[in-house]
Amino acid sequence: MIQIFHVAKKFGTKAALEDINLKFQKGEFVFITGPSGAGKTTLLRLIFGAERPTEGQILINGINLNRINRSRLDPLRRKIGFIFQDFKLLPRKTVSQNVALALEVAGERPSIIRKKTRQVLRAVGLAKKEQAYPLQLSGGEQQRVAIARAIINDPLILLADEPTGNLDPDITREILLLFRTINLKGTTVVIATHSKELLKNTDQRIILLKGGKIVS
Amino acid sequence: MNIRIWIYYFKHAVSNILSNQWIHLISIGTISISLLLFGAFTLFFVNVNTWMVEWGQSLSMSVYLDDGIQRDVKDEIESIIKGLPGAEITGYISKEKAEADLIAALGAQAGLLDGITSNPLPASFEITFKDRKEHQVDAKRIKVFLDQLEGVDEVQYSEQWLERFEDLIYLLKLGGLIVGGLFSVAVLFIITNTIKLTIYSRRDEIEIFKLVGATDWFVKMPFLIEGAIQGILSGFIALLILFLAYSLFSLKTVHIFGLPVMDIVFLPYGYILLIFIFSLLLGLTGSFIAVGRFFRLLG
Ligand SMILES: Nc1ncnc2c1ncn2[C@@H]1O[C@H](COP(=O)(O)OP(=O)(O)O)[C@@H](O)[C@H]1O
Ligand SMILES: [Mg+2]
Repeated sequence: MIQIFHVAKKFGTKAALEDINLKFQKGEFVFITGPSGAGKTTLLRLIFGAERPTEGQILINGINLNRINRSRLDPLRRKIGFIFQDFKLLPRKTVSQNVALALEVAGERPSIIRKKTRQVLRAVGLAKKEQAYPLQLSGGEQQRVAIARAIINDPLILLADEPTGNLDPDITREILLLFRTINLKGTTVVIATHSKELLKNTDQRIILLKGGKIVS
Repeated sequence: MNIRIWIYYFKHAVSNILSNQWIHLISIGTISISLLLFGAFTLFFVNVNTWMVEWGQSLSMSVYLDDGIQRDVKDEIESIIKGLPGAEITGYISKEKAEADLIAALGAQAGLLDGITSNPLPASFEITFKDRKEHQVDAKRIKVFLDQLEGVDEVQYSEQWLERFEDLIYLLKLGGLIVGGLFSVAVLFIITNTIKLTIYSRRDEIEIFKLVGATDWFVKMPFLIEGAIQGILSGFIALLILFLAYSLFSLKTVHIFGLPVMDIVFLPYGYILLIFIFSLLLGLTGSFIAVGRFFRLLG
């Protein structure tokens, strides 16, 4: 569960977010939308603990992000999958090495790492591309590698920043379906997107941000 | 402790070294040379110390007597000397014997003494002290004590030049320590910068490691091990070269002041271990500094 109380974030004098109050239940599927510069990315980064709020509190499963120190943030991060807008894949590692990273840092056993990597790559439809390098893949495939890495730890929360950014409609639908599947297994999914297309005929909760404030 | 993770750390450390071979090669080479100099210096002192201890073990002393000394005064001196702990009179050299010895020593140049009518050489007792450590023989104090005796002209002992030598050695040691200190700083600098370069070449990976929840230690450890490997490898190379050089050198007999000196010894195990630990510490400290700086930048 994610609770956000009166959160504000300033960069210098410029306010990126102002007085944000939100509550996401476990297993919820939420879109955060709004025009470019509205503060969507900043909000996700705050939830991920990559950034600290200037004001207010953020609680993840009751843990206050303001209060915990670095050494407890690291294990918490393994419970939060983050899909970055630019994917953040290592070009000199293969697809399966990139995905396995998330388990390696947890000190997982190699046999388990191999098994889970294969499983998760199958789940995102990349079983055949295991040994490929990210730059040999299409945008949609890279996106799915990033998703695979984010979900390999069975995270409680999955945060995705513009996950369908430059993908064509068919692939966008596939990716959304993938998120729904993950969500059905109990993971809270929060997707930031500026695309109105994505929100068409969805019955999910939508939070609209504008100029750093929640509009609806 | 989790062996799996340590294997992982080592793998990464080795792969860091292999993917920046040249930098590491240059770094390890430079560190080895520094440690080699350090080791050679230590070897030199270990040997000088050994020799000095051996020379110092037996002390010989000459007690020169006044001219025209009375027989009873001479007997008195003799009995006092015999009473000194560990002392043994190895001979009494009369004025006549001293002159004869001198003439024998001069050989062909004995003519030099022709113009001298009276014998200028003093008579003397020759003394050796055995088991000095056990008897706590202090040459200087004995000299002062004998000097003030009636009938004693002068006291000389074999160690006097050794003491002057000790002062010199002390100065050399001090110099060595200062130079060694400077070298250590230089070595630290080299290691720190090599590790900084590898950290820099891995910065994207480090960022992603942190994003998927790696602890700081998990990210740092391979670099610390990398530094440690550099240190130990350099220490090993330096000691190996030193040992080879020693093996070549010790085949010949060394002469100091024209005297053949006893065998050269290699560094004792304790010193070898110490040099290893020292190089390991240098490597670790260097990488600690590099890692610390880098992570401060990460925030
Ligand atoms: N690291 C940063 N430094 C300075 N300003 C930032 C930084 N990150 C975001 N901003 C500013 O905060 C505002 C919100 O940005 P962002 O959260 O990226 O919006 P969105 O993702 O909705 O497009 C923007 O005006 C942006 O310029
Ligand atoms: Mg954004």
